[in-house]
Amino acid sequence: MIRRCFQVAVRLGRHRVLPGVPQVLPRLNPNSAFGSSTDSLVSRFCLKKTDLKDYALPNASWCPDMLNLYQEFLEKTKTDGWIKLPSFKSNRDHIQGLKLPSGLAVASDKSDWRIFTRCIQVEGQGYEYVIFFHPSKKKSICLFQPGPYLEGAPGFAHGGSLAAMMDETFSKTAYLAGEGLFTVSLNIRFKNLIPVGSLAVLKVDVEKIEDQKLYMSCIAQSRDQQTVYAKCSGVFLQLQLEEESSQ
Amino acid sequence: MLRSCASRLRTPGALRGRLGGAPPPARDSRPPPRSFSSEVIYVDHSLPNPSWSKDMRLLFDQFMKKTEDGSWKRLPSHKSVSPQRTEEVKTFFPDAKPIKEHMSQAQLFPRSLEEGLGFEYAMFHNHVENRTVCIFQGGPYLQGVPGFLHGGAIATMIDSTVGMCAVLAEGVVMTANLNINFRRPIPLCSVVVINSQLDKVEGRKLFVSCNVRSVDEKTLYSEATSLFVKLDPKKSLT
Repeated sequence: MIRRCFQVAVRLGRHRVLPGVPQVLPRLNPNSAFGSSTDSLVSRFCLKKTDLKDYALPNASWCPDMLNLYQEFLEKTKTDGWIKLPSFKSNRDHIQGLKLPSGLAVASDKSDWRIFTRCIQVEGQGYEYVIFFHPSKKKSICLFQPGPYLEGAPGFAHGGSLAAMMDETFSKTAYLAGEGLFTVSLNIRFKNLIPVGSLAVLKVDVEKIEDQKLYMSCIAQSRDQQTVYAKCSGVFLQLQLEEESSQ
Repeated sequence: MLRSCASRLRTPGALRGRLGGAPPPARDSRPPPRSFSSEVIYVDHSLPNPSWSKDMRLLFDQFMKKTEDGSWKRLPSHKSVSPQRTEEVKTFFPDAKPIKEHMSQAQLFPRSLEEGLGFEYAMFHNHVENRTVCIFQGGPYLQGVPGFLHGGAIATMIDSTVGMCAVLAEGVVMTANLNINFRRPIPLCSVVVINSQLDKVEGRKLFVSCNVRSVDEKTLYSEATSLFVKLDPKKSLT
């Protein structure tokens, strides 16, 4: 089923998978539904008891807008069913005990690899962000403050940095909402530039899940919603991770 | 020929800069003008360094050969935008608030990580065909799915490459749309070639497309189309 879906995805574009290229996706049991419930995915992902540093916590570089909105959402985690997602240095830390299906997993994996959106660890200089996820509504809010190392036009965040933040928010939402793993497409319409050091609020919704793909939309705005920075639609491919066999 | 006045909102700064390594035929062989502060030297990062893999160096040499007959040019790349460029861009944002003290360390995003850890790249441009090619090696701090390059990292490089193509054609531009189809995930630390092409210009709109392939061209990793808008100095953006 996966192979057929992957080929459908490829056929949607202009190019076919070239002959002779090894099959990327392994054969999966077509009867195994993507059945891991959102709750089990969330609890595994969120690792309550851990020594790992959580980067999605306030620090001195956060602007007042970001701090205020963070507090608002923290309140909502107690009453309205929202969850604050932890953010570790590597995606591997979020999926401990799980691995990519054989055939896809990379042979050597150095421990110093880092998730892109946490590549700049100096406080306030790169991506400052926190994602709140609502399991039953399948939506996310990302509070994003771009630092001076993300500059494109002088004084404004690089378009690529917003694209990356949107892709990352899609990625976490897709995984928790339905084991979405790989980006299939991103369609971004930029409207306004984000000043470095200011807050952008990204709202992500899962529109539908169909043919092993998750379709999501995102709007990035200023806190008062008066300025729209960009709108984006994204599609992610579902792929189930496997349990790591005990070694 | 490169437009010496071409400004770019989102990507590498000064088109003037020190050209190191095997010198391609340069239009301007005088030493670069001194910047405002005598301490600042604009280092060109689009040159081989110890973190470049064999594939990356081979590709670089292949493209440097192409610059010998003048049809292709290697584009220098710096960590930050030159003061002159900053002034040029500011005319489009008259209301922009002055950057605070602690932000004076601003760096161009793809150049803000240490050697070998993030984006290692070099761009080449063919002014006759309006094509910009970027050879790119994504380092260990650009991870997405474990073992693979983050979608946002390749999006950043695609935006930078198509953007450069647009800037060199028409001057100060802004990304309006970016549409990327990911065909296969890119293994972390591998080298890819991003080929971008200016497809057409309609008034102030520029249509640029690109594809991302493996070094041997056998694997197509992604394809993208983009729309850029040439800024009108008479109209304020904010």
